Amino acid sequence: MNLTVADLVTRALAACDVLAETAAPIEDELQYVADLDTVWGARLRAVSAARGTDPVPPGAEEALDALAAEAARISDPHRAIDWLSTLPQVALAALGEAA
Amino acid sequence: MRFGDARPDGRAVVYAHIQADPLVARAADLLAVATTTQRLLARAAMNGESTDPAAWHAMFPTLFGPAAPAPGDPVRVRSEAILAVSLEVADRGEQTRSQFRGAIVEAVTERLLAERTSPVRRERRILFDGRPAEIHPYDVTVEREGAAEAWDCKWGARGIKADVIHQLDDARRGAADESLRLLAGLVVFDARRSCEVRLVREKGPVSLEGIKLVALEGLDRLAGRKPA
Repeated sequence: MNLTVADLVTRALAACDVLAETAAPIEDELQYVADLDTVWGARLRAVSAARGTDPVPPGAEEALDALAAEAARISDPHRAIDWLSTLPQVALAALGEAA
Repeated sequence: MRFGDARPDGRAVVYAHIQADPLVARAADLLAVATTTQRLLARAAMNGESTDPAAWHAMFPTLFGPAAPAPGDPVRVRSEAILAVSLEVADRGEQTRSQFRGAIVEAVTERLLAERTSPVRRERRILFDGRPAEIHPYDVTVEREGAAEAWDCKWGARGIKADVIHQLDDARRGAADESLRLLAGLVVFDARRSCEVRLVREKGPVSLEGIKLVALEGLDRLAGRKPA
């Protein structure tokens, strides 16, 4: 089965969930983490809605795999918060989209 | 309204050594002429865990993949140099790399502004008659008569806090009280989308209309250029 843009968006969202879990101990930033989840989740889902059935661009599958691995490596909750903003931007760039 | 040097304190003395480190200048020189995706690479790698360039090559196929500029192409060479310098920053340890990242954003801002205007200064206070002076200096200022600017620089959207917004707003209103123009703003090495949600939560009663936001995608505007 050929991989689609929607499949990679699903992987990006799952990687964001991993980061949000790592970030959870920073209670002062729960609202910011929720805000990031809302706006970046919406942006990624919009890409899926517009181009979900398209085949993935060259290198995008490897990019999302590497991104998910990087997200899983992050254990510091503060860094995880920073990455909740960074990961969607990198995923969008790999999919040929602007942030 | 007048500009003045910051009062020297312990933090400033230590931070001055970071600002003067050749690694900061090397990173800033590269990032001042980089594309948005190259700047995003720097943001990710400077704050990442992986130190193996191959992992970053995989994450950025538009810079290093089959459809990217070929090895030896000037754009590809710059991407490789940005990755190398970013991993060097990441290798400095958690506390130090945090200071390096802040200094790099300030240095990039200084270079971009200097392309458009002058004189551009660092770590300066803005003083108004009849108003108590702010303790914290502005990271970068443009001290041009009739077209002054004050910029606070942040590595990430999370650095946008209420006190920063208030200080910028106070400076802008202080200038307005003297019938002077002061462009006050934030330069943030992070996506505009993240900055906007942070600003809305942190602004309190401050109207954001008078505060300029320059995010990662729009850094070239500081130089009067369109984003690359």
